[in-house]
Amino acid sequence: MEIIVCIKPVLDPDLPPAKFTVDGKKNEVIPPEGVPFVMSPYDALAVEAALRIKEAQGGKITVLTQGTKYAEEIMRKALAMGADEGVILSDPAFEDSDGFGTAHVLAQTVKKIGKFDLILCGRQAADWDAGVVGSLIAEYLNIPVVIRAKSIEVLDGVLKIERISTNGSEVFELGLPALVTLSSEMGQVRIPSGWGIISAAKKQVPKWGATDIGTDPSQTGAAAAVNRLVKLYVPVYERKCEMVTGKDPAEAAARLTEKILAIKP
Amino acid sequence: MEKFDAIVVGAGPAGCAAAYTMAKAGLTVLVLERGKYTGAKNMWGGAFFGPVMGEIFPEFRKEAPVERFINRHIISFMTKEDCLSIDFKSYHGDEGSSPGFIMLRAKFDRWMSTKVEQAGAILATGLEVTDFIFDGSRVAGVKVGTEEFPGNVVILTDGANSLLAKKAGLRDDYKAPDLKQGVKEIIKLPREVIEDRFGVSGSEGVVMEFVGACTKGLPGGGFIYTNQESLSVGVVVQLSALLENNVKASDLIEDFKEHPSVRPLIRNGETVEYSAHLIPVSGVAMMPRLYSGGILVAGDAAAMVLGTGLILEGANLAMAAGIAAGNTVIGAKALNDFSALALSQYESLLKESFVMKDLQTFRRAPHFLENPRIYNDYPEWTCAMMRGIFNSTGKARRNILEVVKESMKGKIGLMQLVGDTLKARKAI
Amino acid sequence: MKIEDKLSLNKFDIDREVHIRVDEEKCKECRLKPCLYACPAECYVERGGRVVFSYEGCLECGSCRFSCKKGAIDWVNPRGGFGISYQFG
Ligand SMILES: Cc1cc2nc3c(=O)[nH]c(=O)nc-3n(C[C@H](O)[C@H](O)[C@H](O)COP(=O)(O)OP(=O)(O)OC[C@H]3O[C@@H](n4cnc5c(N)ncnc54)[C@H](O)[C@@H]3O)c2cc1C
Ligand code: SF4
Ligand code: SF4
Repeated sequence: MEIIVCIKPVLDPDLPPAKFTVDGKKNEVIPPEGVPFVMSPYDALAVEAALRIKEAQGGKITVLTQGTKYAEEIMRKALAMGADEGVILSDPAFEDSDGFGTAHVLAQTVKKIGKFDLILCGRQAADWDAGVVGSLIAEYLNIPVVIRAKSIEVLDGVLKIERISTNGSEVFELGLPALVTLSSEMGQVRIPSGWGIISAAKKQVPKWGATDIGTDPSQTGAAAAVNRLVKLYVPVYERKCEMVTGKDPAEAAARLTEKILAIKP
Repeated sequence: MEKFDAIVVGAGPAGCAAAYTMAKAGLTVLVLERGKYTGAKNMWGGAFFGPVMGEIFPEFRKEAPVERFINRHIISFMTKEDCLSIDFKSYHGDEGSSPGFIMLRAKFDRWMSTKVEQAGAILATGLEVTDFIFDGSRVAGVKVGTEEFPGNVVILTDGANSLLAKKAGLRDDYKAPDLKQGVKEIIKLPREVIEDRFGVSGSEGVVMEFVGACTKGLPGGGFIYTNQESLSVGVVVQLSALLENNVKASDLIEDFKEHPSVRPLIRNGETVEYSAHLIPVSGVAMMPRLYSGGILVAGDAAAMVLGTGLILEGANLAMAAGIAAGNTVIGAKALNDFSALALSQYESLLKESFVMKDLQTFRRAPHFLENPRIYNDYPEWTCAMMRGIFNSTGKARRNILEVVKESMKGKIGLMQLVGDTLKARKAI
Repeated sequence: MKIEDKLSLNKFDIDREVHIRVDEEKCKECRLKPCLYACPAECYVERGGRVVFSYEGCLECGSCRFSCKKGAIDWVNPRGGFGISYQFG
């Protein structure tokens, strides 16, 4: 099994809001300096899923990440968890790409690698939560895709996937190659061991640019972005609390019901 | 299993300086840090003093994440309602001659540890060293849970709360009277507001120290340091004094922020972080054995902190000790001898450096600084005196000497004052 | 500012393993309860005459370790990577 996993560095999504600033004029998030980004938690699930498949039946895991700052950091983490190889996609032409541009970069990289059975991604990046890159890569590579997987099994070259749906879950079977995105229902992600970190630190991680993977300049970077960020702001939540009372619980409940019914959607 | 020349436990200033020194000399070095990233577990007041930074990282002025260069020191004696300050500004030219600079640990530690990695050491974060591998009585590596990491030498730089120094047999646990507890808030304010309120511009910065009511008269003090776009506001108090007087540092810092002389400085600021840490403050009196077979200890884990009353210096001593430890191991590696005897070189190097010289010079300071009069009577007296001088009551004024005498009444005896002054001369 | 509000500004990765354990049997005999004044995060609180400890807001300063003379506090750091992470420090 040749497995490719795509990962992205994001500002730790659990960071309390007091720790970063939102610049509404520039539509930018200003992260705290000196604090490294983390691997998007959904992507960490993808790495975990790849490791479980590899442990069950062998294979090789190659990790891809596009980015400059902190790409190295999260790549080492994936290698420390047990991935075999990694490639960092970095080129000024890739900067400020949106989901479409990023998917183009990743799809071109997969084409260059050539051999693969399965591509795994997180269901969405924990920063913008757009959740399109996985599906777009599959589209560009013309392979089937299943999103929001809870579990993956590979039996005799057939993928069996349980996927989260609105009302529960669905089970799919499909052939290889394919792309699957992972959801948090998959479970716990392993913590790298010390020797895992040491061997990851010693690995060479090549950096590929636009000419290495043959991206189309009209499809990457800010100019090619299909999505435009119009407004970035911290929402203001207004909360009002009204105590509904009554001489007994029944009366209080009746009043509460009245109030709820009076609320117009 | 690979064996490292040296394993460094903890990536603070001491550990990073040691690792950097050794890695640059070509030794194989593993640095283990329990924080998720370097700096994650650390806090401090924020002022770095002296030339040691430039000695190890000559490029630091260009690269280091300095918040502000210190050009103004304000020392204040405060009672509940008053505050008497000595304000020292120094405009001796540029940043180059500034007596110190202010940094925040997250940025500072990351910068240092990146240097360490660039020099060739392996940095592994998120790993807490829990024990040693022993070869007889000699330390032969470390354990992280069930994982083992063999090394010729372990440099222990795991900070004030080192549980490992005891496990290595270098010392007993520290005791509450030898420790101070520091609590601090980062209060965000726009750069322009900080510059206006504190009378600085560009990269200039201020260090403010407070004595008196900010600790309810207990040994310790309050501080405000200016960062680029925030203030570090905190209180440091002797741990045993908190316990004995039923006082919580979390209450002290709230009162400190509400003091009439502090409140206007932090007005409209937004608190974005609350942190706490211990500081070993008794100097040479609490120092452990600094080495034994296969192990050296440096920084807070060896109580290398200089407290002269007005400021705390620990980071610079930690770095200097880290360099000395690193150089000792380089020498030991050349001879392939990591015995206690070979590592005793460390103590000689420390004695030659400012670390032991300063700690010796100020060896009486910790005891002197336990004198309760410093934190109660003197602030009360000096402030009462100022009140007397400035207070126009409508009656005939007395001369200043009378005011001074009056203000001392019932607070301080003349002999005590003379005695304390003499002791102060000896201690600090 | 209340301590809960301050702690809510901090980033914790709370481990399911508890890193500090307090032997409440020993606390029963303890009159002065110095641990209450040691902890800058107020992880030790008195409720109905009993000391109740919660490890979630621990800033890992170590102070409580030096406060208890009865040996009721079993103190270690949280596992590597867990616990408090400062962004400024
Ligand atoms: C409130 C306060 C104000 C201060 N103000 C100043 C000041 O203005 N100027 C100044 O010079 N000094 C100041 N100090 C002192 C200074 O911070 C310390 O002396 C200095 O940080 C000591 O450096 P160190 O490398 O020995 O320890 P630390 O900086 O504490 O680093 C120890 C490192 O080891 C890690 N570690 C601990 N245990 C383990 C383990 N078992 N396994 C792996 N890693 C571990 C920790 O996470 C940490 O990163 C202040 C201290 C405090 C608390
Ligand atoms: S000081 Fe020790 S024995 Fe006393 S209440 Fe606190 S934890 Fe319990
Ligand atoms: S280590 Fe510090 S913060 Fe944690 S419980 Fe003990 S005193 Fe409180």
